[in-house]
Amino acid sequence: MRELRWHTTLLVTGLAVSFPLVWALLTSFRPQNAIFEIGPSPVSVANYVDAVTLFPIGRLLLNSFVTALGVTALQLLVAVLAAYAMLSLGARSLRWVLGAVTVSLVVPLQAMVIPQFLIATGLGWRDSYVGLIVPQLASCGLAVLLMWEHTRSIPKNLLGAAAIDGARPAETLWHLVLPQLRPGLGAVGILVFVTTWNEYLWPALIAPSPTNTTIQQGLALFNNQEGGNPGPLLAASVLACAPVLAVYAIFSRRITAAFLQAGRR
Amino acid sequence: MTSTLDRAAPRARAAQPGPRGRPWLYLVPLVLALGVWVYGPLLWTGVLSLLDWNLISPNPEFVGVDNFVAVFGRPETTNALVRTGYYVLGMLPFATVIPMTLAILLWRRPGRAADGYRALLFSPVVLAPVATAISWQFLLSPQQGLVNTVLSGVGLPAPNWLGDPRTALPVIVLVTAGKIVALNMLLFSAALAGVDRRAIDAARIDGATEWETTRFIVLPQMLRTIALLSALCVIVAGQWVFTNVAALTRGGPDGATDNIYYRLYTEGFDFFDAGSASALAVAITLALALLFGAAALWNRRRSRA
Repeated sequence: MRELRWHTTLLVTGLAVSFPLVWALLTSFRPQNAIFEIGPSPVSVANYVDAVTLFPIGRLLLNSFVTALGVTALQLLVAVLAAYAMLSLGARSLRWVLGAVTVSLVVPLQAMVIPQFLIATGLGWRDSYVGLIVPQLASCGLAVLLMWEHTRSIPKNLLGAAAIDGARPAETLWHLVLPQLRPGLGAVGILVFVTTWNEYLWPALIAPSPTNTTIQQGLALFNNQEGGNPGPLLAASVLACAPVLAVYAIFSRRITAAFLQAGRR
Repeated sequence: MTSTLDRAAPRARAAQPGPRGRPWLYLVPLVLALGVWVYGPLLWTGVLSLLDWNLISPNPEFVGVDNFVAVFGRPETTNALVRTGYYVLGMLPFATVIPMTLAILLWRRPGRAADGYRALLFSPVVLAPVATAISWQFLLSPQQGLVNTVLSGVGLPAPNWLGDPRTALPVIVLVTAGKIVALNMLLFSAALAGVDRRAIDAARIDGATEWETTRFIVLPQMLRTIALLSALCVIVAGQWVFTNVAALTRGGPDGATDNIYYRLYTEGFDFFDAGSASALAVAITLALALLFGAAALWNRRRSRA
């Protein structure tokens, strides 16, 4: 009896939070004249055909993919180098670096976004991948803190021994530190990728045109343009979720672990 | 932490683990990233808040604190501040009690079923926020949406959820809630990992009910996390709802779903009033800094006591 109550509570809540997407998925396969009807209907892919022809979904997904991958690579690079350097900082400088990184995480994006926009447009980065990717280094603080947690747990005598053997810093980083960091890199990478994929504000500002932006902003534009045409919009929404959802289905344990670690900060 | 180690073994410097010689060289990318994209912009925002400028004209004019006076004199700003408070209050249960209950439920019966439910409950975090918003927009559509079809089917009133100032803000809160519940559930799970299951088993043997063990053993250990997440909610509830406000209501109807972050965005990128937007940004940043300072002080005093 008690077990039944346990299952019901969790199942009902679980279905409630995933309901919008499940509904979108089921509804997107209905014929366009039966979108708002209730009850069974023939399966139709017309909405997907329309979504793909009315809007450059493929291009938008590609843009999102390139952007998320670029931001992930860049943030990981910065984070690994910084976390490695932090190993040899004195207590005081370390506190300064950690302080500056933490503060950067707390400042709301909206408070920096106008100058970021001015810098990026001044450099001619509007509607470009560079513009979408590089300024999102602003949120690299989380990756740095998480990578730092990983580097400091590497056994000190391992690295000290390498130093005594005369290994140069770059060699130590490449041959000793990086292999130790592999699980950490995966977890932080997934975290950054998913967050960037779902970012809305920055792409909306720097890449406002429908072919050069990411899928999030693309969906918003599509919504303004085709608001009265629910079928294709729902199909597009499903397509926008599909890649990250697929990654999640494969790595769900690692993803929750990565977010958990990030949340602890 | 490492600081005591460093001081205890100064001679170990020769074999320090990080890059020898010029460790700062490896910090250059980080310093550049934060300098150019965080701290530089922050300072620049400070300067912009003292100028009268439309983001385009070649000669902005220095106006001192006029922007602050003007922006805080506007009824829209007061409205946005009040609404930000509503969002905080509305989000609070979804940031604390609900995710904690779910986390405790999952923790009570570990196993395959719990893992499955956890994956399902966490899914809103990985779903594209705009896609979820679009789905809700049709579910809540006043004439044809599923929600109202069901409601009028059982004879209840069918409001215009997003178009009515009375329902729009609660709807935004509910639409955002899934994601926050999911994230915070994970944090409560982390806190629960520190609870000793043997204490619970012992209490059970002594005849304590499940509710009693939860109330007297588990809950006291959750207090810190509850305090932390409540503080977080106060600070960032307005940011949590940003995407949904932008996608579903644009702050309307009649400013009913506005908040201070969306206001800032409107001033800057709809009205091209860099001064007003920056004045708001400076005020928000200062307020946050004060809140964080107070929280840190309170935390330090508690850990000393």
